Amino acid sequence: MLILEFLVKRIAQGLLIVVITSLIIFTLLRVVPGDPVRLIVGGMAPPDVVEKVATKMGLRDPIIVQYGRYMRGLIQGDLGQSYLRPRSGMIAAGGQYVDPTKSDMALVTDLILERLPFTLQLGGMALLFALLISFPVGIAGGLHQHGWQNALAFGTQSLFVSIPNFWLAIVLILFLSIKLKLLPALGYQGFSYVILPALVLAVEIAPFIIRTLTTSLGEVMQAPFIDEARVRGLSRRRIVYSHALRNAAVPLVNLLGIQLSTLIGGVLVIEYIFDYPGLGNLTVVSVVGRDFPVIQGIAITTSAVFVFINIIVDLVAYLIDPRVEI
Amino acid sequence: MTATTVIAAELEPRLARIRSVNRRILAAAWGMWSFKIGFFVFIALLLASAIYPEVSSVSATKMVVKDKFLAPVYLGDKWTWDHLLGTDQLGRDILMRSLIGLRYSLLVGVVTVVLIFVIGCGLGLFAGFKGKWWDTIIMRITDAQLSIPMIILAITILGVSRPTVPTIIIVLALSGWPLYARVARSAAVAERGKEYVRGLRVLGAGDWRILLLFTAPNILPPIAFVAVLDVARMMIFEAILGFLGLGIQPPTPSFGSIIADSRKYLLNAWWIGTIPGIFLAVALTSINLMGSALEKARNRIYGGL
Repeated sequence: MLILEFLVKRIAQGLLIVVITSLIIFTLLRVVPGDPVRLIVGGMAPPDVVEKVATKMGLRDPIIVQYGRYMRGLIQGDLGQSYLRPRSGMIAAGGQYVDPTKSDMALVTDLILERLPFTLQLGGMALLFALLISFPVGIAGGLHQHGWQNALAFGTQSLFVSIPNFWLAIVLILFLSIKLKLLPALGYQGFSYVILPALVLAVEIAPFIIRTLTTSLGEVMQAPFIDEARVRGLSRRRIVYSHALRNAAVPLVNLLGIQLSTLIGGVLVIEYIFDYPGLGNLTVVSVVGRDFPVIQGIAITTSAVFVFINIIVDLVAYLIDPRVEI
Repeated sequence: MTATTVIAAELEPRLARIRSVNRRILAAAWGMWSFKIGFFVFIALLLASAIYPEVSSVSATKMVVKDKFLAPVYLGDKWTWDHLLGTDQLGRDILMRSLIGLRYSLLVGVVTVVLIFVIGCGLGLFAGFKGKWWDTIIMRITDAQLSIPMIILAITILGVSRPTVPTIIIVLALSGWPLYARVARSAAVAERGKEYVRGLRVLGAGDWRILLLFTAPNILPPIAFVAVLDVARMMIFEAILGFLGLGIQPPTPSFGSIIADSRKYLLNAWWIGTIPGIFLAVALTSINLMGSALEKARNRIYGGL
């Protein structure tokens, strides 16, 4: 019952957040300079043609009217059509006139759904790698607060957080895929293309996990119930893995919710460098081409994912530790 | 006894204690080897980037085509003592370009974090202290802002307006404040119910007086210690923007654009991209070492360990 109430409240709040986000992005796109119509009709078109197309596309109406129209479509699950991408998948070249009011432009919903699985795959693999790196280091560091393990955790974390992701990506491409030919790097033709970008992302996320794990495990190990478990004669393995880790997990789960936007930002840059066909790559191309409907669609999708994951995170934190207030 | 003497009497030991807590944190951090290493490396880089470009006659932007692709000293077939770390594809000195890049990187990082700190903590303190619907409105906006990844916001704005140092700083600050607002808000909510705030209210102190003179000095220093870590984060973001072509524009060197340009020459002249990357990584490591030492010291002092 409590969980149901929590879900209803949080989903309502989440919807509000998505609406505010969409309004911010929607207004921002139209307020900053840069006219998509100019890019669509090409640089040589006379100004009256630009105005005509813009009026036809509804881009000269007041922003609030445009937003109302957009939201009406959104409620019916319609995110609009891309300005630049025809259905066939080819991108319209600059200057080549494609009438964006025609119905043969790709649906934003299709564009996003097509690429979302790739991005989720990359994000999931990155998270898995990050956990594989940081759990051994973090747990050892947390258990031996004054030993070399803690120094190792501290050093790893300081080093990893200081490596710029794009630089690491370039260096890894140079060594692992060009010099040693171990892993493919650019594009996507199968699962092996995920590994290198996921590794780079993992290096970006791992330091936060290591830091939280070391600190919270260190605190939990000082707690009276750990001493009591020792008195009861439980093995050290049992104490660490089923008592201490479970309690140290709550800050960790919360951290994942907060660091999600770092992860999304990292995904965007990494996809761009590795030419990986995910949402991030689509974002960069769309921003450069001023493809308003696609940018809005992506912003709404990411904020919805963000809200959804944060609800899951709070729920999981509650299930792990019922003392957490939800 | 008048009201003012009561406040003064209460204030004095409190101020003394605050100063001593912050001093103790600094002293504890200074005692760690990681803080000292970070501090000296950082000072060395800072001095190098401040002094060397001023006294050296080498230019960071002048192209000398006959000197192109010179390797760092002793590391290639072709090198000279004039260019210690080699030259790039247009014969420009890499050491000089890296140092100038470091200057801009530090400038953007520090100014952005100060701005974020002021905006985020200001809004957070206000929301947490006022409560009610102020709180609801400000925190919902914060959540919305938090759910738009910084990079999407940044490339949306910088993709169309010509990126200059002030616009880059504003964009980064705009997308960075929400976390600070959250932290400051939860601290302010905890502080609101405390004895001394109720005491001050009884004495007739207004909201702003309590907030700025008494609550803020309690809440902000612990947040400020950790803000050092964000200087490094912002420097990375500045470099990422430069890499995407949305940072400080050429011919002014910045780490991101240098590394982006170097991709074409990676196989023949590895140093063009690698050396600025190492410079950036060393600078970031030094800041992160200081930041995490401060954070550790803070947790130790506040945790009473």
